[in-house]
Amino acid sequence: MNRLSSFLVILVASLCLYACSKDSAKSTTPGTAGQGGSLARFTIASNHLYIVDGQKLYAYSLANATTPQLKSTVELGFNIETIYSFKDKLFIGSQEAMYIYSLTNPAQPSKLGAASHVRACDPVVANDSIAYVTVRAGATCGGTQSALLVYDISNVLNPVQKNVTPLKSPYGLGLRDNRLYVCDGPNGLNVYDLSDPIRPQLLKQVKGEVFFDVIISDDLLICMIDGGTALFQLGANDAVTMMAKITN
Amino acid sequence: MRKSYFSCILPLTLVILTYSCKPFDPDPPRTPPASVEGYAPIYGSLATATTIRSTTPQDIVKGGKIYVKSDTLYQVEAGKGIHVISIAQPDVPHKLAFIEVSGCQEMAIMDNLLYTNNLNDLVVVNIQNIANVLEVDRITNTFHLVDADRPPGTGWFECVDPSRGDVVGWEMKTLNYPQCSH
Repeated sequence: MNRLSSFLVILVASLCLYACSKDSAKSTTPGTAGQGGSLARFTIASNHLYIVDGQKLYAYSLANATTPQLKSTVELGFNIETIYSFKDKLFIGSQEAMYIYSLTNPAQPSKLGAASHVRACDPVVANDSIAYVTVRAGATCGGTQSALLVYDISNVLNPVQKNVTPLKSPYGLGLRDNRLYVCDGPNGLNVYDLSDPIRPQLLKQVKGEVFFDVIISDDLLICMIDGGTALFQLGANDAVTMMAKITN
Repeated sequence: MRKSYFSCILPLTLVILTYSCKPFDPDPPRTPPASVEGYAPIYGSLATATTIRSTTPQDIVKGGKIYVKSDTLYQVEAGKGIHVISIAQPDVPHKLAFIEVSGCQEMAIMDNLLYTNNLNDLVVVNIQNIANVLEVDRITNTFHLVDADRPPGTGWFECVDPSRGDVVGWEMKTLNYPQCSH
Protein backbone atom coordinates (compact mmCIF):
# COMPACT_ATOMS: atom_id res chain seq x y z
CA MET A 1 0.00 0.00 0.00
CA ASN A 2 2.81 2.39 0.90
CA ARG A 3 4.51 1.83 -2.43
CA LEU A 4 1.25 2.45 -4.27
CA SER A 5 0.64 5.67 -2.30
CA SER A 6 4.12 6.91 -3.08
CA PHE A 7 3.62 6.09 -6.72
CA LEU A 8 0.33 7.97 -6.79
CA VAL A 9 1.85 11.01 -5.09
CA ILE A 10 4.67 11.08 -7.58
CA LEU A 11 2.26 10.65 -10.47
CA VAL A 12 0.00 13.45 -9.31
CA ALA A 13 2.95 15.74 -8.63
CA SER A 14 4.35 15.06 -12.09
CA LEU A 15 1.03 15.81 -13.69
CA CYS A 16 0.80 19.05 -11.78
CA LEU A 17 4.27 20.12 -12.80
CA TYR A 18 3.53 19.29 -16.43
CA ALA A 19 0.28 21.22 -16.36
CA CYS A 20 1.95 24.23 -14.73
CA SER A 21 4.79 24.34 -17.25
CA LYS A 22 2.30 24.11 -20.09
CA ASP A 23 0.37 27.05 -18.68
CA SER A 24 3.41 29.26 -18.35
CA ALA A 25 4.29 28.60 -22.00
CA LYS A 26 1.01 30.24 -22.94
CA SER A 27 1.80 33.50 -21.13
CA THR A 28 0.76 36.62 -23.00
CA THR A 29 3.19 38.98 -21.29
CA PRO A 30 4.35 41.35 -24.02
CA GLY A 31 7.81 40.64 -25.34
CA THR A 32 10.62 43.12 -25.87
CA ALA A 33 10.67 44.98 -29.14
CA GLY A 34 13.62 46.72 -30.77
CA GLN A 35 13.65 50.18 -32.35
CA GLY A 36 13.06 51.26 -35.92
CA GLY A 37 13.75 54.61 -37.52
CA SER A 38 11.25 57.35 -38.34
CA LEU A 39 10.91 56.18 -41.95
CA ALA A 40 9.38 52.88 -40.82
CA ARG A 41 6.03 51.47 -41.91
CA PHE A 42 6.06 48.78 -39.21
CA THR A 43 6.04 49.45 -35.48
CA ILE A 44 5.39 47.31 -32.39
CA ALA A 45 3.51 48.87 -29.49
CA SER A 46 1.03 47.66 -26.84
CA ASN A 47 1.74 44.04 -27.85
CA HIS A 48 0.51 44.75 -31.37
CA LEU A 49 2.22 45.08 -34.73
CA TYR A 50 1.00 48.17 -36.58
CA ILE A 51 1.59 48.43 -40.33
CA VAL A 52 0.83 51.19 -42.83
CA ASP A 53 0.85 50.74 -46.57
CA GLY A 54 -0.09 53.50 -49.02
CA GLN A 55 -3.69 53.75 -47.80
CA LYS A 56 -4.39 51.69 -44.68
CA LEU A 57 -3.39 51.04 -41.09
CA TYR A 58 -3.38 47.37 -40.02
CA ALA A 59 -3.41 46.32 -36.34
CA TYR A 60 -2.15 42.78 -35.60
CA SER A 61 -2.33 41.32 -32.11
CA LEU A 62 0.90 39.67 -30.95
CA ALA A 63 -0.77 37.94 -27.98
CA ASN A 64 0.51 34.80 -29.65
CA ALA A 65 3.67 36.21 -31.10
CA THR A 66 4.27 33.50 -33.69
CA THR A 67 0.81 33.92 -35.20
CA PRO A 68 -0.20 37.59 -35.52
CA GLN A 69 -3.97 38.09 -35.63
CA LEU A 70 -5.43 40.93 -37.68
CA LYS A 71 -7.72 42.87 -35.36
CA SER A 72 -8.64 45.91 -37.43
CA THR A 73 -7.97 47.81 -40.63
CA VAL A 74 -8.35 51.59 -40.86
CA GLU A 75 -8.68 53.49 -44.12
CA LEU A 76 -6.35 56.46 -43.77
CA GLY A 77 -6.36 58.13 -47.16
CA PHE A 78 -3.65 58.23 -49.79
CA ASN A 79 0.13 58.47 -49.93
CA ILE A 80 0.58 57.24 -46.35
CA GLU A 81 4.30 56.89 -45.66
CA THR A 82 5.45 56.46 -42.08
CA ILE A 83 4.37 55.31 -38.62
CA TYR A 84 5.79 56.15 -35.19
CA SER A 85 4.55 55.09 -31.78
CA PHE A 86 4.92 56.90 -28.47
CA LYS A 87 3.25 55.53 -25.34
CA ASP A 88 -0.41 55.02 -26.22
CA LYS A 89 -0.40 56.91 -29.52
CA LEU A 90 0.48 56.36 -33.14
CA PHE A 91 1.75 59.21 -35.32
CA ILE A 92 1.27 58.59 -39.02
CA GLY A 93 2.88 60.66 -41.75
CA SER A 94 1.47 61.08 -45.23
CA GLN A 95 2.14 63.37 -48.14
CA GLU A 96 -0.71 65.61 -47.04
CA ALA A 97 -0.85 65.47 -43.27
CA MET A 98 0.20 64.04 -39.91
CA TYR A 99 -2.45 61.86 -38.21
CA ILE A 100 -2.58 60.97 -34.51
CA TYR A 101 -4.32 57.76 -33.40
CA SER A 102 -5.12 56.51 -29.92
CA LEU A 103 -4.08 53.04 -28.76
CA THR A 104 -6.33 53.13 -25.67
CA ASN A 105 -7.87 50.06 -27.27
CA PRO A 106 -4.76 48.69 -29.02
CA ALA A 107 -6.75 46.38 -31.30
CA GLN A 108 -8.83 49.28 -32.59
CA PRO A 109 -6.74 52.43 -33.13
CA SER A 110 -9.02 55.48 -33.16
CA LYS A 111 -8.34 58.84 -34.72
CA LEU A 112 -7.59 61.69 -32.34
CA GLY A 113 -6.43 64.54 -34.54
CA ALA A 114 -4.72 65.58 -37.73
CA ALA A 115 -2.60 68.42 -39.02
CA SER A 116 -2.50 69.12 -42.72
CA HIS A 117 0.58 70.52 -44.32
CA VAL A 118 1.77 71.45 -47.74
CA ARG A 119 2.30 68.51 -50.03
CA ALA A 120 5.57 66.79 -49.07
CA CYS A 121 7.07 63.59 -47.65
CA ASP A 122 6.99 63.66 -43.87
CA PRO A 123 8.33 61.44 -41.11
CA VAL A 124 7.20 62.27 -37.56
CA VAL A 125 8.61 61.85 -34.05
CA ALA A 126 6.84 62.98 -30.91
CA ASN A 127 6.71 63.11 -27.13
CA ASP A 128 3.86 63.92 -24.74
CA SER A 129 3.41 67.49 -25.91
CA ILE A 130 5.25 68.13 -29.17
CA ALA A 131 5.45 66.47 -32.59
CA TYR A 132 8.38 67.16 -34.89
CA VAL A 133 7.81 66.60 -38.59
CA THR A 134 10.15 67.03 -41.53
CA VAL A 135 8.60 67.91 -44.86
CA ARG A 136 10.60 67.40 -47.99
CA ALA A 137 9.52 68.72 -51.37
CA GLY A 138 10.82 67.13 -54.49
CA ALA A 139 10.18 65.04 -57.53
CA THR A 140 8.62 62.06 -55.74
CA CYS A 141 6.93 63.96 -52.91
CA GLY A 142 5.36 66.88 -54.70
CA GLY A 143 5.22 70.33 -53.23
CA THR A 144 7.90 72.96 -52.87
CA GLN A 145 8.60 73.39 -49.15
CA SER A 146 11.35 71.58 -47.24
CA ALA A 147 11.45 72.24 -43.51
CA LEU A 148 11.28 71.06 -39.91
CA LEU A 149 7.79 71.69 -38.53
CA VAL A 150 6.96 71.84 -34.83
CA TYR A 151 3.42 71.03 -33.64
CA ASP A 152 1.98 71.60 -30.19
CA ILE A 153 0.00 68.42 -29.48
CA SER A 154 -0.87 69.15 -25.85
CA ASN A 155 -4.45 69.15 -27.14
CA VAL A 156 -4.01 66.07 -29.24
CA LEU A 157 -7.41 66.52 -30.91
CA ASN A 158 -6.15 69.76 -32.45
CA PRO A 159 -2.43 69.85 -33.28
CA VAL A 160 -1.23 73.41 -33.87
CA GLN A 161 1.81 74.28 -35.92
CA LYS A 162 4.09 76.48 -33.87
CA ASN A 163 7.33 76.75 -35.79
CA VAL A 164 8.85 76.25 -39.23
CA THR A 165 12.60 75.92 -39.80
CA PRO A 166 13.55 75.76 -43.50
CA LEU A 167 15.91 72.93 -44.37
CA LYS A 168 17.44 71.83 -47.65
CA SER A 169 16.55 68.15 -47.94
CA PRO A 170 15.30 66.67 -44.67
CA TYR A 171 14.55 62.98 -44.27
CA GLY A 172 14.17 61.05 -41.00
CA LEU A 173 14.65 62.29 -37.46
CA GLY A 174 15.24 61.05 -33.92
CA LEU A 175 14.17 62.45 -30.56
CA ARG A 176 15.48 61.83 -27.07
CA ASP A 177 14.98 64.05 -24.04
CA ASN A 178 15.85 67.57 -25.16
CA ARG A 179 17.81 66.65 -28.25
CA LEU A 180 16.45 66.33 -31.78
CA TYR A 181 18.53 64.79 -34.57
CA VAL A 182 17.40 65.64 -38.11
CA CYS A 183 18.84 63.95 -41.19
CA ASP A 184 19.22 66.62 -43.88
CA GLY A 185 20.36 64.31 -46.70
CA PRO A 186 23.63 65.44 -48.27
CA ASN A 187 23.64 68.53 -46.06
CA GLY A 188 24.43 66.55 -42.94
CA LEU A 189 22.91 65.56 -39.61
CA ASN A 190 21.56 68.49 -37.59
CA VAL A 191 21.61 68.37 -33.78
CA TYR A 192 19.05 70.62 -32.06
CA ASP A 193 18.65 71.70 -28.45
CA LEU A 194 15.01 71.46 -27.36
CA SER A 195 15.33 73.39 -24.08
CA ASP A 196 12.63 75.54 -25.65
CA PRO A 197 10.67 72.68 -27.22
CA ILE A 198 8.82 74.94 -29.66
CA ARG A 199 11.99 76.59 -30.97
CA PRO A 200 14.68 74.02 -31.73
CA GLN A 201 18.14 75.61 -31.58
CA LEU A 202 20.75 74.24 -33.95
CA LEU A 203 23.76 73.13 -31.92
CA LYS A 204 25.86 71.52 -34.63
CA GLN A 205 25.86 69.84 -38.02
CA VAL A 206 27.64 66.58 -38.65
CA LYS A 207 28.90 66.63 -42.22
CA GLY A 208 30.51 64.14 -44.55
CA GLU A 209 27.70 61.69 -45.24
CA VAL A 210 24.27 61.66 -46.85
CA PHE A 211 21.92 61.09 -43.89
CA PHE A 212 18.48 59.50 -44.31
CA ASP A 213 17.42 58.25 -40.88
CA VAL A 214 18.64 57.83 -37.33
CA ILE A 215 18.06 55.55 -34.34
CA ILE A 216 19.23 56.62 -30.87
CA SER A 217 20.31 53.63 -28.76
CA ASP A 218 21.87 54.52 -25.40
CA ASP A 219 24.89 56.65 -26.33
CA LEU A 220 24.98 55.52 -29.92
CA LEU A 221 23.51 57.16 -33.02
CA ILE A 222 22.86 54.55 -35.70
CA CYS A 223 22.40 56.36 -39.01
CA MET A 224 21.05 55.16 -42.31
CA ILE A 225 23.37 56.80 -44.84
CA ASP A 226 23.81 56.60 -48.56
CA GLY A 227 25.49 53.23 -49.12
CA GLY A 228 24.74 51.63 -45.74
CA THR A 229 24.97 52.72 -42.10
CA ALA A 230 27.23 54.79 -39.88
CA LEU A 231 27.67 54.58 -36.09
CA PHE A 232 28.35 57.68 -34.00
CA GLN A 233 29.17 57.91 -30.29
CA LEU A 234 27.33 60.59 -28.32
CA GLY A 235 29.60 62.20 -25.75
CA ALA A 236 29.78 65.07 -23.32
CA ASN A 237 28.85 68.55 -24.58
CA ASP A 238 26.96 67.05 -27.51
CA ALA A 239 30.08 65.53 -29.03
CA VAL A 240 29.14 63.31 -32.01
CA THR A 241 32.05 61.09 -33.01
CA MET A 242 31.99 58.61 -35.87
CA MET A 243 32.91 55.13 -34.70
CA ALA A 244 32.45 53.13 -37.92
CA LYS A 245 30.77 52.95 -41.29
CA ILE A 246 29.33 49.84 -42.91
CA THR A 247 28.96 50.46 -46.63
CA ASN A 248 30.07 47.30 -48.37
CA MET B 1 4.27 101.76 -100.55
CA ARG B 2 1.13 101.42 -98.49
CA LYS B 3 -0.14 98.72 -100.75
CA SER B 4 2.98 96.57 -100.23
CA TYR B 5 2.78 96.95 -96.47
CA PHE B 6 -0.78 95.89 -96.52
CA SER B 7 -0.03 92.82 -98.58
CA CYS B 8 2.52 91.75 -95.91
CA ILE B 9 0.65 92.59 -92.79
CA LEU B 10 -2.63 90.93 -93.61
CA PRO B 11 -1.25 87.46 -94.27
CA LEU B 12 1.05 87.82 -91.27
CA THR B 13 -1.88 88.73 -89.08
CA LEU B 14 -3.84 85.79 -90.35
CA VAL B 15 -0.94 83.47 -89.57
CA ILE B 16 -0.67 84.86 -86.04
CA LEU B 17 -4.39 84.52 -85.46
CA THR B 18 -4.37 80.93 -86.70
CA TYR B 19 -1.69 79.90 -84.25
CA SER B 20 -3.23 81.65 -81.29
CA CYS B 21 -6.55 79.96 -82.00
CA LYS B 22 -5.18 76.42 -81.57
CA PRO B 23 -7.62 74.18 -79.59
CA PHE B 24 -6.77 74.28 -75.84
CA ASP B 25 -4.92 71.13 -74.75
CA PRO B 26 -5.74 70.48 -71.04
CA ASP B 27 -3.14 67.74 -70.67
CA PRO B 28 -0.10 68.62 -72.76
CA PRO B 29 2.50 65.84 -73.04
CA ARG B 30 5.24 66.11 -70.37
CA THR B 31 8.78 66.10 -71.56
CA PRO B 32 11.00 63.65 -69.65
CA PRO B 33 13.73 65.57 -67.85
CA ALA B 34 17.39 64.83 -68.49
CA SER B 35 18.01 64.10 -64.82
CA VAL B 36 15.50 63.73 -61.98
CA GLU B 37 15.12 61.85 -58.70
CA GLY B 38 12.65 59.00 -59.07
CA TYR B 39 11.90 55.31 -58.53
CA ALA B 40 13.32 52.41 -60.51
CA PRO B 41 12.20 48.75 -60.34
CA ILE B 42 14.24 46.14 -58.48
CA TYR B 43 14.06 42.84 -60.34
CA GLY B 44 14.06 39.35 -58.92
CA SER B 45 12.33 36.03 -59.42
CA LEU B 46 8.87 35.31 -58.10
CA ALA B 47 9.53 31.59 -58.56
CA THR B 48 11.80 31.55 -55.52
CA ALA B 49 10.21 34.58 -53.90
CA THR B 50 8.76 32.85 -50.85
CA THR B 51 11.97 31.19 -49.70
CA ILE B 52 13.14 32.76 -46.44
CA ARG B 53 16.61 31.64 -45.41
CA SER B 54 19.94 32.70 -43.96
CA THR B 55 23.05 33.01 -46.05
CA THR B 56 26.59 34.14 -45.33
CA PRO B 57 27.01 37.94 -45.15
CA GLN B 58 26.57 39.82 -48.40
CA ASP B 59 27.60 43.22 -49.72
CA ILE B 60 25.37 46.20 -49.07
CA VAL B 61 24.24 47.42 -52.49
CA LYS B 62 20.92 49.21 -51.89
CA GLY B 63 21.00 49.87 -48.14
CA GLY B 64 17.49 50.60 -46.88
CA LYS B 65 15.68 51.04 -43.57
CA ILE B 66 17.34 50.21 -40.29
CA TYR B 67 16.30 48.51 -37.05
CA VAL B 68 18.19 47.90 -33.82
CA LYS B 69 17.74 45.27 -31.13
CA SER B 70 20.08 43.79 -28.54
CA ASP B 71 23.39 45.11 -29.89
CA THR B 72 22.43 44.02 -33.38
CA LEU B 73 21.72 46.25 -36.34
CA TYR B 74 19.46 45.08 -39.13
CA GLN B 75 19.45 46.88 -42.48
CA VAL B 76 17.12 46.16 -45.38
CA GLU B 77 18.74 45.38 -48.70
CA ALA B 78 15.95 46.82 -50.81
CA GLY B 79 13.90 44.09 -52.47
CA LYS B 80 16.31 41.33 -51.42
CA GLY B 81 16.52 40.81 -47.66
CA ILE B 82 18.12 41.93 -44.43
CA HIS B 83 21.75 42.41 -43.41
CA VAL B 84 22.41 41.34 -39.81
CA ILE B 85 25.30 43.27 -38.23
CA SER B 86 26.71 43.01 -34.73
CA ILE B 87 27.29 46.42 -33.12
CA ALA B 88 28.22 45.10 -29.69
CA GLN B 89 31.54 46.86 -30.27
CA PRO B 90 30.54 49.96 -32.22
CA ASP B 91 34.05 50.71 -33.45
CA VAL B 92 34.31 47.26 -35.04
CA PRO B 93 30.86 46.31 -36.35
CA HIS B 94 30.76 43.07 -38.29
CA LYS B 95 28.19 41.26 -40.37
CA LEU B 96 26.75 38.08 -38.91
CA ALA B 97 24.51 36.88 -41.74
CA PHE B 98 22.11 37.86 -44.50
CA ILE B 99 18.45 36.84 -44.45
CA GLU B 100 16.95 36.40 -47.91
CA VAL B 101 13.48 37.94 -48.09
CA SER B 102 12.29 38.76 -51.58
CA GLY B 103 10.54 42.12 -51.82
CA CYS B 104 11.82 43.14 -48.38
CA GLN B 105 11.23 46.73 -47.39
CA GLU B 106 10.16 46.83 -43.73
CA MET B 107 10.74 45.03 -40.46
CA ALA B 108 10.16 44.94 -36.72
CA ILE B 109 11.49 42.52 -34.11
CA MET B 110 10.09 41.29 -30.81
CA ASP B 111 12.16 38.87 -28.74
CA ASN B 112 13.49 36.34 -31.27
CA LEU B 113 10.79 36.95 -33.86
CA LEU B 114 11.31 39.09 -36.95
CA TYR B 115 8.21 40.46 -38.68
CA THR B 116 8.87 41.50 -42.26
CA ASN B 117 7.23 41.80 -45.66
CA ASN B 118 7.91 39.14 -48.27
CA LEU B 119 6.44 41.19 -51.11
CA ASN B 120 2.86 41.67 -49.90
CA ASP B 121 2.88 38.79 -47.41
CA LEU B 122 3.53 39.33 -43.70
CA VAL B 123 6.00 36.70 -42.54
CA VAL B 124 7.19 35.81 -39.05
CA VAL B 125 10.75 34.50 -38.88
CA ASN B 126 12.43 32.93 -35.86
CA ILE B 127 15.90 34.49 -35.76
CA GLN B 128 17.15 32.80 -32.61
CA ASN B 129 19.81 31.04 -34.71
CA ILE B 130 20.80 33.75 -37.17
CA ALA B 131 22.75 31.31 -39.32
CA ASN B 132 19.61 29.25 -39.86
CA VAL B 133 16.46 31.35 -39.56
CA LEU B 134 13.08 29.66 -39.81
CA GLU B 135 9.82 30.97 -41.20
CA VAL B 136 7.17 30.25 -38.56
CA ASP B 137 4.11 32.00 -39.97
CA ARG B 138 2.89 33.67 -43.14
CA ILE B 139 -0.16 35.80 -43.85
CA THR B 140 -0.50 36.07 -47.60
CA ASN B 141 -1.39 39.15 -49.60
CA THR B 142 -2.23 41.09 -46.51
CA PHE B 143 -1.13 44.61 -47.45
CA HIS B 144 -0.08 46.60 -50.48
CA LEU B 145 3.55 47.53 -50.00
CA VAL B 146 5.05 46.34 -53.27
CA ASP B 147 3.28 47.11 -56.52
CA ALA B 148 4.49 45.31 -59.63
CA ASP B 149 3.30 48.09 -61.95
CA ARG B 150 4.26 51.33 -60.29
CA PRO B 151 6.33 52.75 -57.47
CA PRO B 152 5.21 53.81 -54.00
CA GLY B 153 5.70 57.52 -54.68
CA THR B 154 4.44 59.97 -57.27
CA GLY B 155 6.48 61.51 -60.07
CA TRP B 156 8.73 60.14 -62.80
CA PHE B 157 9.83 56.51 -62.69
CA GLU B 158 11.76 54.03 -64.79
CA CYS B 159 9.22 51.93 -66.69
CA VAL B 160 8.96 48.23 -65.82
CA ASP B 161 10.82 46.02 -68.30
CA PRO B 162 9.38 42.48 -68.00
CA SER B 163 12.38 41.00 -69.81
CA ARG B 164 14.52 41.83 -66.76
CA GLY B 165 12.49 39.69 -64.38
CA ASP B 166 9.73 40.19 -61.84
CA VAL B 167 9.41 43.42 -59.87
CA VAL B 168 10.26 42.76 -56.21
CA GLY B 169 10.63 46.33 -55.05
CA TRP B 170 11.47 49.91 -55.94
CA GLU B 171 14.51 52.07 -55.23
CA MET B 172 15.09 55.80 -55.40
CA LYS B 173 17.79 56.91 -57.80
CA THR B 174 18.70 59.58 -60.32
CA LEU B 175 16.88 58.85 -63.57
CA ASN B 176 17.87 60.05 -67.02
CA TYR B 177 14.99 60.77 -69.38
CA PRO B 178 12.50 58.46 -67.61
CA GLN B 179 9.54 57.53 -69.78
CA CYS B 180 6.91 56.77 -67.13
CA SER B 181 5.21 58.89 -64.49
CA HIS B 182 2.22 58.88 -62.16
